[in-house]
Amino acid sequence: MSAFLHRGEWLGKMEEGRADTWDGVFTHLEMLEAQAHEAGRRQEERQQQEEKLASLKERVEELRMQRDQLRAKVDLQQKKQSGKEGIVSDAAEPSAGAVLEWKIRSIKGMLQIFYLTGISGKLTKRGVCFSISTAYEGTYLDSYYLDLLTKPAVRIHRHSVPIFIPLEQISKRYLQTDIRRFLSVLSDHLNAYAGRKYQADQLQEHFSDQLEGSLQRNSLCNLLVFNYKMPSEDKTFPFSARLIYGDLCCSLPTEVIVSCTVKPHESLEETAAAHSELFRHTALHKVFCTFRSAEEKVDGAP
Amino acid sequence: MDIGTCQVYEDEIKSLEEEIKLLAEQYKDLQQESTFYSEEEILTAIKAFQSEFQRESKGHEFQSDLKAQLENLEADLGFLMKFTCIQFTSHSKRTVERNRNRTVQKHRVSGKCHSLSFQLEFQLLEIKDEEKVSTVITDLSIIMESGEDSNVSKFVSRTEEHGHLLAFFRSLSSYAEWYEHRRSTFQHFKLYLLLSDPYISLTIAVAVVSGTVVQSTAATLPHFKIQLKMNKWEGDKSGEYFLSCLLYLKQFEKIFVQMNIDNEGIYLFLEDV
Repeated sequence: MSAFLHRGEWLGKMEEGRADTWDGVFTHLEMLEAQAHEAGRRQEERQQQEEKLASLKERVEELRMQRDQLRAKVDLQQKKQSGKEGIVSDAAEPSAGAVLEWKIRSIKGMLQIFYLTGISGKLTKRGVCFSISTAYEGTYLDSYYLDLLTKPAVRIHRHSVPIFIPLEQISKRYLQTDIRRFLSVLSDHLNAYAGRKYQADQLQEHFSDQLEGSLQRNSLCNLLVFNYKMPSEDKTFPFSARLIYGDLCCSLPTEVIVSCTVKPHESLEETAAAHSELFRHTALHKVFCTFRSAEEKVDGAP
Repeated sequence: MDIGTCQVYEDEIKSLEEEIKLLAEQYKDLQQESTFYSEEEILTAIKAFQSEFQRESKGHEFQSDLKAQLENLEADLGFLMKFTCIQFTSHSKRTVERNRNRTVQKHRVSGKCHSLSFQLEFQLLEIKDEEKVSTVITDLSIIMESGEDSNVSKFVSRTEEHGHLLAFFRSLSSYAEWYEHRRSTFQHFKLYLLLSDPYISLTIAVAVVSGTVVQSTAATLPHFKIQLKMNKWEGDKSGEYFLSCLLYLKQFEKIFVQMNIDNEGIYLFLEDV
């Protein structure tokens, strides 16, 4: 609300010729207008805040009710299940759509098991798209796809196999004659690569304090070079290891050279030789695990 | 102060929405895992679905999608089972834990690969970490019918120990295929022993359809040796030959036959009772 002086009063004031009063009036007017505007804005803001709070509160209560209802449903279902072993058919007559949805979920579950077997896929308009999964022991790693066309002859349309895997060589040998064998050999290569990579990654991630700098490796992860030390040692990295994985379908090295970086004494050389044997037969990160636990045993000894 | 309260409400809304999402998933899991519909019920449902769809034009796309989705999935599954020769005869799972970023499920699977049956139980742990989902198998337990077979028990115990489900299936697949090949190959392998007089001569007639008889000796002593060269199972890197064959022995006299199998072949030792 603006203070609004009668026009006549203004003119009157003007006629009196008091310029400063005129200015003062204007300033006063502006100030009052600003104040009123500000008050109006604050009022609006307050109203909005209140409305927002109210709606949030409503939403919270709505969600709380929904959550409680769901919780009750889940609890009831769990009680039903623990009461009887095995399979219970729903009391209410399920809709045809619900039955189909159940079947769809059930099949998807089986397809997931196929993924776990290492070779799965789906039919496409012009052929099949296979998916080769890789794992190191119980941990699943990357999977790779191969989009195959089947007519007029079997050929690879697209794939995500890394370039350093000899895909062309393998497909030349087996693709036309025995697709299963082709996928099997390719799976061996990919799983061995994934296994080598996993070991190197685990070493880098969990035992970096025992490594000098970072592990050197090639993209195929079949050549690893690193300098390392035992957990208890101070600053020098007395051992230098060079692991060569000659068999591309294997995740253990075919050749290991452990040498001493410092001038070696007999026991150090013996240790290097022992380590060499270890690396040949045990996974890389597991070897370092045993180093650590061996040291702990020594520490723990009275 | 108002802003503070707003924030509190907003935080609670967010956590409630997450909780609701989890509970809904949990409920769906429980429903899925505690229900079972037979193939008959499924066919009935498909027919009912189709007639529903023909009557109503509402929700047209969704309904046809559901049936088409089912058909596509069944086609994929059928193809995979035929291609890999791995048939899953049953699969049940139970969700043991479901959090915002962790799901633990217990699976029980049974099936066969070619003619070798297996039963598995394992725990599947899925961890959501930003965009990646990592899958880990624990508590793997494998039971195979042909468990006495030393080659089978070798890869079963090795893969079971490390929870290496994938390696189990790869080994099983390769072994089963090889086993199947040999089984059909040696179905016609018959070894006839005709004995007239065990101390004078032994006549051995060997009929082999496939496989090679390297050496056969007729001896006056009641021992004789037949060396058979068998193909090595490539998956077995230990370098041992695996032999399994069907031997039909025709006994004319009471003869005690001792059979030894090793790297080189089958040795049949005949002795008079």
